[in-house]
Amino acid sequence: MAFLELNSINTYYGRSHILFDVSLSIEKGEVVSLIGRNGAGKSTTFRSIIGLTPPQTGEVIFKGERISGLRAFRICRKGIGFVPEDRRCFPDLTVRDNLEVASRREKEAASPWTVDRIYALFPRLREREKNLGSQLSGGEQQMLTIARTLMTNPEVLLLDEPSEGLAPLVVALLAEMILRIREEGVTVLLAEQNLHFCAKVSDRAFVIDKGSVKYEGTMKDLLANDEIKEKYLAV
Amino acid sequence: MDLSFLTVQVLSALRQAAFLFLISSGLTLIFGVLNILNFAHGALYMLGAYFVYALTLHLTGPAGFLIAILAAPLGVALIATVIETGLLRRIYMQEEIYQLLLTYALVLIIDDLAKIVFGPEFKSIPMPGMLSGSVTLFGGTVPVYTLLVVVLAPAVALILWYLLYRTKTGKVVRATSSDREMADALGINMSALFTLVFAFGAVLAGLGGALAGPVRTVFPGVGTEVIIESFVVVVIGGLGNLWGALIGSILIGSLETIGIIVFPEFEMSLIYLLMVAVLVVRPWGLFGRPLKVKALSEKNLAMEAQEISPVHFSVHPLVRWAPLLLLLLVPLFAGRFYQYLLTQIFIASLMAIAFNLLLGTTGLLSFGQAAFFGVGAYTVGLLLTKGGFGTLPALLLAPVVTAVVAGVIGFFCVRLSGVHFAMLTLAFGQLIFTVAYKWYGLTGGDNGIQGIPVKTIPLGGLGALDLGSNRAMYYFVLAVVWLSVELLRRFRSSPFGATLKAIRENGQRASFLGVNIHLYRWTAFVVAGAFTGLAGGLFAMMEKSISPEIIHWSKSSEPVFMTIIGGIYTFAGPAVGAVVYVILNSYLVAWTEKWALVLGLVLLTLVLLLPGGVVGFVNEKARQTLGKLRCIRKWSFSKSATS
Repeated sequence: MAFLELNSINTYYGRSHILFDVSLSIEKGEVVSLIGRNGAGKSTTFRSIIGLTPPQTGEVIFKGERISGLRAFRICRKGIGFVPEDRRCFPDLTVRDNLEVASRREKEAASPWTVDRIYALFPRLREREKNLGSQLSGGEQQMLTIARTLMTNPEVLLLDEPSEGLAPLVVALLAEMILRIREEGVTVLLAEQNLHFCAKVSDRAFVIDKGSVKYEGTMKDLLANDEIKEKYLAV
Repeated sequence: MDLSFLTVQVLSALRQAAFLFLISSGLTLIFGVLNILNFAHGALYMLGAYFVYALTLHLTGPAGFLIAILAAPLGVALIATVIETGLLRRIYMQEEIYQLLLTYALVLIIDDLAKIVFGPEFKSIPMPGMLSGSVTLFGGTVPVYTLLVVVLAPAVALILWYLLYRTKTGKVVRATSSDREMADALGINMSALFTLVFAFGAVLAGLGGALAGPVRTVFPGVGTEVIIESFVVVVIGGLGNLWGALIGSILIGSLETIGIIVFPEFEMSLIYLLMVAVLVVRPWGLFGRPLKVKALSEKNLAMEAQEISPVHFSVHPLVRWAPLLLLLLVPLFAGRFYQYLLTQIFIASLMAIAFNLLLGTTGLLSFGQAAFFGVGAYTVGLLLTKGGFGTLPALLLAPVVTAVVAGVIGFFCVRLSGVHFAMLTLAFGQLIFTVAYKWYGLTGGDNGIQGIPVKTIPLGGLGALDLGSNRAMYYFVLAVVWLSVELLRRFRSSPFGATLKAIRENGQRASFLGVNIHLYRWTAFVVAGAFTGLAGGLFAMMEKSISPEIIHWSKSSEPVFMTIIGGIYTFAGPAVGAVVYVILNSYLVAWTEKWALVLGLVLLTLVLLLPGGVVGFVNEKARQTLGKLRCIRKWSFSKSATS
């Protein structure tokens, strides 16, 4: 059985049907990309997994246990971390407080992620420890949101378009960090529009368009498949 | 001015500020995290005072007094926990207005329950000897209790600061108040946190009441006076901001003290004037920030869909005119009482439908409609008693004068939305109330205007219409209201009305399309104001006497009730609500003294069970039934076609 599995989920905003029978399966330790254009349904897939916009039919299975239908904070405590696309640091809290808010006392002993280890992974955050979330640059905010989610000690990390709007140099740095996070044993599901970024970090990919999965395969095959690239990913 | 006088006054201002801070800090904390403007906060304050009263009946001496002061807020917290987990929690997904209304229903219920338990009379709480004395400070005599309160409030402020900025829970609270969804996704248990914050806010309100009880008197409804002041404080300071609540409390406390000395007549107007001045310059308050627009996914889309995809069946003209026909026949068989009751309903319907042009159509919750109703009523009253005008010219001038007043007020209000808009309209409304209440020379002050002479209306060659009889008044009001409602209906279904709905759905997108949203809102505000003024004018003609009570903010809540009862996203909803409300009101008053309690329970039930209102519910059912019928028809057609 797969580590995280989506079995034909259907998700709605009000009366509008957004996801149509989306099925994904991810193995432990993988970095998997979910690639698609704006409005393809990437963020909605993530929101369905974490429980912010629960699917109306279908189910999400994590480590053999059905998690769809649980409330978001419970899903998070089961070990799924969500990094939203618009970064959403808490603007009135300092960098350190942003991290502290996400830590869970009962898990602290078991957690590989302490504030110090986070700072070792993101040295820049240590320098800005006393700054408010609102005073950070875009790249720093992205690091902070990832770091903050790591503090919840996730086994699966849902990264929603982390490279969006960042300078190429920062994007390269980000790719490195994703690989380091993977080395820590965290499984990563990455939603992206940037195919080259995905190629750097992930082994497998799903292509999503208009709310349903159109392609599933290795990154290598996808890069070679001009038809799929042309049809669903060309700008 | 000597030092002793100054000391006494400064301390008195600080004491007032201390009470205000205790209440408004809880109010602002709850708003910051739960995003609910808690109308019931004043009622919680009142409970704090009553609990101290009840406890000191049994506990005597300084120690007993102290225990009572500390235990009362905990009792209040317990009640708040029940309210949050039992009621509020069910409607977090609804729009803000339903939460506001639920807490308003709680005010009615708690006030009446307090009356049942503690009696309607004023209670005073005895202070133990050592606290009731006074000391001399810089030559001025200052009560010991005042000093105690003035020291205690800053201590509470410090504790609050420590809890919010130095503890993990406090940081979680602040994180949640800036991004609820994100906090949820980070594993924070929102439900538990909401209960905690609501109960904690209630502790602060209860402590305010407990401390204020011994120096102010306690009576059912005392919370309503307090809550309006606290609204002013938190709106001036910036909703959800603790420093704002602190500075706001000091400002209002000082202003009230100065006001009593310098302008005793207009003390209350001063705080509303300050609020208007602050909001005009800084719409989000001194320390506030613009509120985030709710994401579409957070809204209850099903309800708005009622209007986006309305029931598709055309009403036969006969069906639409049938009610009018029926109403025309009523005086033939109904007595004077029923004619009077129906006339009341007509006027209330006009007011409610005009109000819903703002709420349901434009998405603006006005809490100052009573002011426009009052301006219309006073215009007719003054023109007929003092101006020597004819009845018809006076009535026609009512909407004109009201439109001008609404134009000025609207100019400032339409830049705001949501809770801020509601509060600014409330402040303007209360400003007009205090003018009518205090300006004896023009308005007769609290005596109002009695014996308004309603003359006959000349109809040219056709003779004259004598409005002396109940029946004539009935027909006259029916005609004017039917015509006005028809005009409002056309206005709402015009392209202009469609644009208003677009603004309600998403003001930002509407403005991207080149719509001047302020101008549109302003126009809707003026139109709604004018028709409300007309309703007020009719009221003055029908009752023949008016008093400033019709302008008080509690009167502004009536159209809100009616609209919610009937259905916010339907045109006829407010009128149906008016029927229910007026009938409930007049029969309940006759039937039981506890009419506020029953009204509160009805409102509570509606908010929890029928958020779309009566008409919304019927529409939804009609849509479902029609949908099924269509399916069957389609199916039978396709069957007959194939066979």
